[in-house]
Amino acid sequence: MEMLKAIAIGLPLTVLVTILALMIGTVVALPIVAGLRSRNRLIWLMSRGLVDLLRGIPPVVWLFILYYGISIGAVRLSALQAGVLGLGVVAAAYLAEIFRGAISAVPKGQWEASSALGFHRATVWTRIVGPQTARAAIPAYTTFAIGLLKDSSIASTIGVSEIVFMSSQYARQSGSGILVFFVAAGIYILLSVPLGLLSRHLDIKMRKAVAR
Amino acid sequence: MEQLMIELNPQTTQPVVQVKNLAKAYGSNVVLRDVSLSVAEGSVTAMIGPSGAGKSTVLRCMNLLEQPDSGEIVIDGHCINAGKKTSPKSLAALRRSAGMVFQHFNLFPHMTVLRNVSLPQERVLGCSREQANEKSMELLKRMGLADKADQYPSRCSGGQQQRIAIARALALGPRVMLFDEPTSALDPEVGVEVLEVMKELASTGMTMVVVTHEMAFAENVADELVVMADGGIIEKGHPGQILKDPQHERTRRFLRAVLER
Repeated sequence: MEMLKAIAIGLPLTVLVTILALMIGTVVALPIVAGLRSRNRLIWLMSRGLVDLLRGIPPVVWLFILYYGISIGAVRLSALQAGVLGLGVVAAAYLAEIFRGAISAVPKGQWEASSALGFHRATVWTRIVGPQTARAAIPAYTTFAIGLLKDSSIASTIGVSEIVFMSSQYARQSGSGILVFFVAAGIYILLSVPLGLLSRHLDIKMRKAVAR
Repeated sequence: MEQLMIELNPQTTQPVVQVKNLAKAYGSNVVLRDVSLSVAEGSVTAMIGPSGAGKSTVLRCMNLLEQPDSGEIVIDGHCINAGKKTSPKSLAALRRSAGMVFQHFNLFPHMTVLRNVSLPQERVLGCSREQANEKSMELLKRMGLADKADQYPSRCSGGQQQRIAIARALALGPRVMLFDEPTSALDPEVGVEVLEVMKELASTGMTMVVVTHEMAFAENVADELVVMADGGIIEKGHPGQILKDPQHERTRRFLRAVLER
């Protein structure tokens, strides 16, 4: 019980890091997707390069670089800031690819009908392609979110006191060894299973309405 | 140019659609060579010909879904020249004059039938939601689909979906309706529903250009028949006459293939 309490103290930070990183990732992914779809070769190349750079380096290395390597004037990033920012930008690269795939899954006929009806580009994105992209992206997006929930444990390496950080601290202090990590694993499962269920529920509901 | 615009007063018997010297190629693959065509107000033009002849490409060039390499397109006085850069404004004006119906309907799957028909009116014509819905219901009733208004397109049959697509295009008040093989994706029995609607539309005086393989429609409803092959028009004229007495060997071969099967 005491063990559970010690670990549970890390729960809010795990959730916070996950949500913030997901939000940063989602927002930053949008301009990257625009770049990946750009017909301008230079913009495309820069976006492509950025995605490959962000994905090619392990997240833990990004966190070390941001935490130990970056100082803006005298200001250094806190562990939480570095963790959220690092996981956020790496998420942006993956989410950009997910969004790009979902956009290209929208049939060409939808674009053609939109053009033929004389919709403005903004209308096409907000009313036609955007909503269909969002639906197509739901399964991959939640899969990524569940992955991110677990990857938030990487932030423990720079001292963000989330679940894994609290667990290893408890393990060292009490000498209870491996058991505490099983409890941590249980908490992760309790968090991720409902997310998966919600995703499937949404997906099925939308499929029912709009199945082609 | 000024003078031309004045002359294209809709009151005169000027053609609603004029296509002049249209040409298009993908690399060395020529899909259209020097196609010229004019469609009179209130007439129905059927375009037939073997697949790959360029019928659909001509139709899709008319509202710039395909960019022609050269040539000129005039719809209801809105002129687009392939050689010059088109302003978004004149492109929008031209597209507003032409309603398009696709082979695969291309309804918006995430909206109800009513929204499918109403959204373009709101966004393109600036109608209020009430105005748009009223017009949409009127059109859906005319298509025999008033009871489908709150369904999603996926719950409708192919024939129903195509009629919804026709309603969606009509809702914008086009001067000409372009049909790109509207029954080719449908079962023959279901296709009849769509052809009936098109016949009714023709009888109200709507100007129509129809790319089709439905020979009976071409013969009985169309005023003008255009036969295309290998990227060019090989014959055009009165449907009955062409079907009875085709002048071109290629036309004869095509008609034998479609009529005597």
